[in-house]
Amino acid sequence: MAAEPTYSVEVEGVSKRFGAQPALDDVTLRIRRGEVYGILGPNGAGKTTLIRSLVGLIVPDSGTVTVLGRRMPSLDILARVGYMTQQAALYPDLSAAENVRFFAEIYGAHDGVREALEFVDLWERRDSVVSNLSGGMRTRCSLACALVHKPDLLLLDEPTVGVDPQLRVQLWDRFQRMARDGASILVSSHVMDEAERCDRLGLIRFGRLLAEGTVAELKRKAGVERLEDAFLKLSEAPAT
Amino acid sequence: MSRRRVAAITRRLLHQFRRDRRTLALLFFAPLVILALLGYLLRGGGGVPQMGVVNEDTGPLGPVVASQLEHSTTVSATAMSQRDAEAKLRNGDLAGYIVLPPDFSAQAQQAHTVAPDVRLEGSQPGLSGSILQAVGQSFTALVGTAGVHFAPKVSYLYGGPTFDTLDYFGAAFIGLVVFFLVFVITAVAFLRERGQGTLERLMASPLRRSEIVLGYMLGFTVLALVQAAEVLAFSLIVLHVHNSGNVALIFIMEALMAIVAVNLGIFLSMFARTEFQAVQFIPLVIVPQVFLAGIIFPVSTEPGPLQLLSHVLPLTYAVEGMRNIMVKGADLGWSSLALDFGVVLGFALLVIFAAATTLRRRIA
Repeated sequence: MAAEPTYSVEVEGVSKRFGAQPALDDVTLRIRRGEVYGILGPNGAGKTTLIRSLVGLIVPDSGTVTVLGRRMPSLDILARVGYMTQQAALYPDLSAAENVRFFAEIYGAHDGVREALEFVDLWERRDSVVSNLSGGMRTRCSLACALVHKPDLLLLDEPTVGVDPQLRVQLWDRFQRMARDGASILVSSHVMDEAERCDRLGLIRFGRLLAEGTVAELKRKAGVERLEDAFLKLSEAPAT
Repeated sequence: MSRRRVAAITRRLLHQFRRDRRTLALLFFAPLVILALLGYLLRGGGGVPQMGVVNEDTGPLGPVVASQLEHSTTVSATAMSQRDAEAKLRNGDLAGYIVLPPDFSAQAQQAHTVAPDVRLEGSQPGLSGSILQAVGQSFTALVGTAGVHFAPKVSYLYGGPTFDTLDYFGAAFIGLVVFFLVFVITAVAFLRERGQGTLERLMASPLRRSEIVLGYMLGFTVLALVQAAEVLAFSLIVLHVHNSGNVALIFIMEALMAIVAVNLGIFLSMFARTEFQAVQFIPLVIVPQVFLAGIIFPVSTEPGPLQLLSHVLPLTYAVEGMRNIMVKGADLGWSSLALDFGVVLGFALLVIFAAATTLRRRIA
């Protein structure tokens, strides 16, 4: 078997339009193995479209997407990718554990249900029917479904919306631990304190990747102290 | 009670419908389609039951009765030999025939009583009724003038005198109930899968579309079969619906119908955004099929163009198949039942393919 590629994700010149509206405009980015990469941008900037193109839900009009060394779309490679959608995608009539077990089976994982539920602090509530869980609990359950098969690449679309601050810190510690163990994580967010914890960041707006780098690099590039200011300054720049 | 608040609710409701053009169109379009269909069906000058007249009478009265029948508007009567008539009755071309025996006139004149044989196909009570009515009318002239007593000897190919409307409808409805409910449940379940975002998750997983379609199919077919067993048991044991066929065959037909319904549900749910819109398929997809599949009105009595339509609807064959089994006691050796099974099976494969294909197109 060939050696694992250095990059878990390679997006090369990807463009996608919905009607007249450009959703992605010539986006090129790479995510290394074991890296937590943050996609930062306002609502409607193209974050979700980018993530959906990584799992083959969107076929780009031009450009190529390579995931874990394989050109997308590829069903086989999806078994090694975890995907958490922005809205918790769960079966409301099933219990938390039944939901996680279902996704484990779909992805061919034989165990890990308990581990996944403990990861998101839902093991105690495993038998609760999802429709009886709070919004934050549903988000966590959805996260458990996304990582139950221990993916090599985890795609998280705004994973901590509605999650309380303590648990948010805890989850981020765990994301970083997963990355140290070799997984790559792509997180979209518009929350700056989360962005601070990413290894690298990409700023996206109007479907364009405006700037890319570590938190320190971005601050230096913008010449400001706070990431929020850097974000505002850098996203103004090419508005031509 | 505040008038403004009530008005706000009313206005909001109307505004919402203005956005949902489809619901609006359906609201005003569907009733016209349904009524037009019903009107055409009932007044479109459709066919009347075919009957045969076997006139072997050597005297003068036989031809009189035969001619009365041939001019009847209730039936379409044709003169033929008894052998032809029996053959046509068996292959379904005739709903019945009458035999006027060689001594018909003699009997009428001497014994003042006539007892012609009336043989009915019997599986469709409505058609049998028309024939008996026409026969009765053709004899009124005779009875009135000569004071002849009229006592036809009626025999049935299928069913019998106790075979009633429920026996006729029961066979069709056992199939229809399963088809209809499974269709609605699948369409709604699939829309929920889409609405709650799990379909997107499944599409981003290593699942193949065929695996999704097959999994759905198996799940709902299991439900449908349990339901079918219940419906069948109730119909046979509690309602005593006539059944002269093999229960296993009924079951296989129901399973096929369930498979068609599941895949039709998946396929059509692609064209709806909400569960609300899925329910709208009922007047558009289900009601016309109920009218045209021969469940209520025999296909053979429909106006010609509607018959063509009936013959491309899968439900027509399913219903006919169910009646072939339950009313006529058909087995797979019968070419008509084999055709019914073949068409329903073919349609099942078609909708499976359609469901899998649409799934790919809409998601990818």
